[in-house]
Amino acid sequence: MTMILSMRNVTAGYDGSDVLKSLDLDVEEGSITCIVGPNGAGKSTVLKVISGLLRARRGELRYRDRPMTGLNPRRALALGIVQVPQNHSLFPAMTVRENVRLGAFTVSDPAIVDARMREVEAMFPIVRERASERAGNLSGGQQRLVEFARCLMLDPELILLDEPSMGLDPRTLKSVFETVARMHEGGRTILLVEQNVRAGLGIATHGIVLESGRVRLEGSHDEVLGNPQIGRLYLGTTVSEA
Amino acid sequence: MRLIVDAVITGVLSGGIYVLMALGLTLIFGVMDIINVGQGALVILGAYLSYLLQQHLHIDLFVGLILTMPVMFALGVGLEAAFIRPIRWERTTLSILVTFAIALLIQGALSLTFSTNLVQMHAWYVSHSLKIGSFYLAWVYIFDFLLSVVLVAALYVVLNHTKFGAGLRASMQNRTAAQLIGIDVERVSAITFGIGVALAAAGGMAYGATSAFNPNSQYDLISRLLVIIILGGMGSLRGAVVAGFGMLIVEDVTSVVWSPVWASTVFYMLLVVVLVLRPQGLFGRLESRRQ
Repeated sequence: MTMILSMRNVTAGYDGSDVLKSLDLDVEEGSITCIVGPNGAGKSTVLKVISGLLRARRGELRYRDRPMTGLNPRRALALGIVQVPQNHSLFPAMTVRENVRLGAFTVSDPAIVDARMREVEAMFPIVRERASERAGNLSGGQQRLVEFARCLMLDPELILLDEPSMGLDPRTLKSVFETVARMHEGGRTILLVEQNVRAGLGIATHGIVLESGRVRLEGSHDEVLGNPQIGRLYLGTTVSEA
Repeated sequence: MRLIVDAVITGVLSGGIYVLMALGLTLIFGVMDIINVGQGALVILGAYLSYLLQQHLHIDLFVGLILTMPVMFALGVGLEAAFIRPIRWERTTLSILVTFAIALLIQGALSLTFSTNLVQMHAWYVSHSLKIGSFYLAWVYIFDFLLSVVLVAALYVVLNHTKFGAGLRASMQNRTAAQLIGIDVERVSAITFGIGVALAAAGGMAYGATSAFNPNSQYDLISRLLVIIILGGMGSLRGAVVAGFGMLIVEDVTSVVWSPVWASTVFYMLLVVVLVLRPQGLFGRLESRRQ
């Protein structure tokens, strides 16, 4: 079992208060790991720390068993880590094509960008079909697909997805999660944060229950879904009470 | 009718000067989410720099921009690094106080150096006019207009046909998403502030060539510039262009049709009507940027 990412004793937060409290967390290479938990548990904060948007106050992050020092978003991208943030993250006044090409902003060779663009268009036909349309005019589900397409422009190893189901109707949600599974089939590791516990854990190979900035429960898909405490969590009680 | 046409032409030509100054302001707001109320003082600083070069080194006002714009660009980058970047919380509100302090510093320094006497810049194109039919157009207005066309076109090319421009536009629309695709938003912000201040240098020269000025002129300027970017839509470059020309045309036409006394009043009334109907301004978006 090879860990692509490990967090040890990580503390992080905003404006003087800690959201993650001495967090220990591992992500297995090639997995779809889904983090679930109540609001305020620190799920999105985990992703922000990994992508370099938020600096950890204490603790250590290791990527492929190497320390991730001086982490910022550019460094994370260079390591092969991309994040698709919560809510709409496209540039609404730009076209779909511009948005997707910007996913390779850090790549200086236009030939590589063109080649990636062709690969992404093959995987996401909407990128070619709606290329000249303003991204802000797309529906929520279509915008999610374009966000996924953009994040693949760097051919990442680890994809961080922050609540991809947010604001989507059940049919669109199904399509979006099928796309997540397809991105995983390409050999990538996916770390997913979801409020929709059933949908998130449904496609995950591993699950992590986060509560008050700490891991309360973790295991394989079967272990997590088979745990009676998860049922209690659906009902709004804490894992520790269950 | 002839007077109205004359007023419209004058409004278009002089509107270009305000467009230059306002573009810098709205660009900075769009990328950095800050309101640089020091822009008026920076414009006046630019005017004094051009005046200095002309008086002491006999460098033509327009040629002098080759020196003053890079200097002001560097000043803008330095101001951003020293005073704006350290603001981590309540950025929009605190930036108003910080840039107001910068304005007061610049105003004080200029008053000490040049006194508060009005300065008028001189050049052949300031005192000579071009006769087209029955119209007389001062050459300086034509040159100012051409300067604004060239600089707006250059800005358009930079924004729409360069990698930096793509990064800047992305930062304007979604700062967090821009960071996550590897855009160095802090670097973009510093360069944007520099561009905004360099445009103030050009606007200052153009303004100084058409109007007498002193350090206190910044107050009149900043109020007019803020009105332009609010009317056009905060952060909208297209809005700044339309509102800049619109303001001067409305004022000039009101002056000849009615009275110069009512020129600004009519424009401000128009502003109120537009904001009642479209609170986000002509080209603004209610939720144009997401953090």
